[in-house]
Amino acid sequence: MDTPVKPSSAPPIPEAAEQTLYEVRKKIYPRAVHGTFAAWRWTFVLLTQLVFYGLPWLNWNDRQAVLFDLISRKFYIFGLVFWPQDIVYLTVLLIICAYSLFLFTAVAGRLWCGFACPQTVYTEVFMWIERIVEGDRLARMKLDQTPLSARKFRLKAVKHGLWIVLALWTGFTFVGYFTPIHVLWNEVMTLHTGPWETFWVLFYGFATYGNAGWMREQVCKYMCPYARFQSVMFDPDTLIITYDPARGEPRGSRGKSVDYKAKGLGDCVDCSICVQVCPTGIDIRNGLQYECIGCAACIDGCNQVMDKMGYPKGLIRYSTEKAMQGHYGTERILKRVFRPRVLVYTAVLWLIIIAAAVTLYHRVPLKVDVIRDRGNVMHGSDDPEVQNVYRLQIMNTQEIARDVRISVAGVEGIKLEIEPQPIRVAPTSSRVIAVRVEAPRASLEDRSNRIHFTVEAVDPTHPGSAPLTVVERATLVAP
Amino acid sequence: MKLQRLIWVLWPSFIAAGVAEALFFTVFDPDELPYFGSVLGASRLATYSIGFFLFWLFAASSSALTCFFQRGSDEINRCPLPAPARPIGCPKRSDENASCR
Repeated sequence: MDTPVKPSSAPPIPEAAEQTLYEVRKKIYPRAVHGTFAAWRWTFVLLTQLVFYGLPWLNWNDRQAVLFDLISRKFYIFGLVFWPQDIVYLTVLLIICAYSLFLFTAVAGRLWCGFACPQTVYTEVFMWIERIVEGDRLARMKLDQTPLSARKFRLKAVKHGLWIVLALWTGFTFVGYFTPIHVLWNEVMTLHTGPWETFWVLFYGFATYGNAGWMREQVCKYMCPYARFQSVMFDPDTLIITYDPARGEPRGSRGKSVDYKAKGLGDCVDCSICVQVCPTGIDIRNGLQYECIGCAACIDGCNQVMDKMGYPKGLIRYSTEKAMQGHYGTERILKRVFRPRVLVYTAVLWLIIIAAAVTLYHRVPLKVDVIRDRGNVMHGSDDPEVQNVYRLQIMNTQEIARDVRISVAGVEGIKLEIEPQPIRVAPTSSRVIAVRVEAPRASLEDRSNRIHFTVEAVDPTHPGSAPLTVVERATLVAP
Repeated sequence: MKLQRLIWVLWPSFIAAGVAEALFFTVFDPDELPYFGSVLGASRLATYSIGFFLFWLFAASSSALTCFFQRGSDEINRCPLPAPARPIGCPKRSDENASCR
């Protein structure tokens, strides 16, 4: 069975030049860049991270302001409390996010990717740490090429140490959205975190460290679903980062004082700064590529060079396909931003936002579920009275107590047997109340009869205020 | 290549598991889930976590099977020829380790 099959006399076939389907990733060493867009990106990094790291520490109504309390199945967002039944709002939120993404992409390409996506934001922060510890592009490349030495080990250890600290803090903050963060902090300080809390802090920390420290642009290139299809949202009027070949070509190096036009050269000095600063390692001069995350680092880099050379800025700039072809001015480009597609996206987006806000505002903070107790349909078929037992689940979704009164109607002579009313339902809690409904058989038309419960709830601290009213239908079954 | 395949299996299933987790546990409260007729005794946090990994496991199995079926039988089964003798275009040709012994 294990006898190897010997090839009889297979003629040696010349090895065809084979290529693997996937190129091996070359490590990218982005060069630091300063300028307008870098400043914008850092603004977004600071804003988003201030919100992310800071929000769990805020308090509201004597509890964490934003807490996704999975244990008690309630989401607190400032004054609002969401229950699992409110999942429609989550759906609406996702629709709003998706539509905003469509809108921003149609207007100016991958704005989200370049400025606000967590992958970009954390990569930016991790690269900043890397730069502080190991130096800029050339120093890092040199360091990686040298054999391991005490200095190299120290630098790498410090970098990874800082990365791990930041990653763990990120993981801790993430879990702090689900477990009250002050409690979690005390648990961490006394090393008493629960097994799952520990696990998720490490899991999220590891994901941050891996994605921002190691994976970087590969996440955008291979893992991000949005990156794959975003270009279908582009049209010829979408602002994208563009190299102006008409102005730049033929490229070539030259001295600052040389009359390059006389030599037949374009504005591109072929310094390759635009390639060096690119976090995905592409050359924007080859045209728009799917790897381009729209970070505009090449614009900043090129503008600096143009300044040094004394050439006008904007050899690489935000422009549109049509503008490049038709040589539009800025005014005409901006005018084209308000094209039908963008207007429709904007209108739909606002419609959804307004509809969501209105329904959220008019949401009744009292929910009632009626469950008829099937085992308890009672009395014999010749009794003059029919009895059914129901369980009413009253959910008080707000953070104030409610005094509840229940009544029933729908059939002539119907009566309700219930514990003494009003019944107190604690803030953000639900309570099951068992009731017995009795109706004279003579007034029933059918085997199953429509009845309805009316639940009225008042705020006990404001007895005069208008009660919340919920009417819930149920069926009264006659045996 | 192996790493790429691993990402193909683990990453889409991670996304799918996240969606499944959110939908499932929005509708079903872990404390009310029966476990072979009795109550599932674990804490909610444990149920959520284990639930997530179960969803991930199932979704990953599906992705893994997709990856598996994408390969032809020639790529999966043992080949009687040594690597250099395989015809041009054979997926196992360049892979010395895959030759049969």
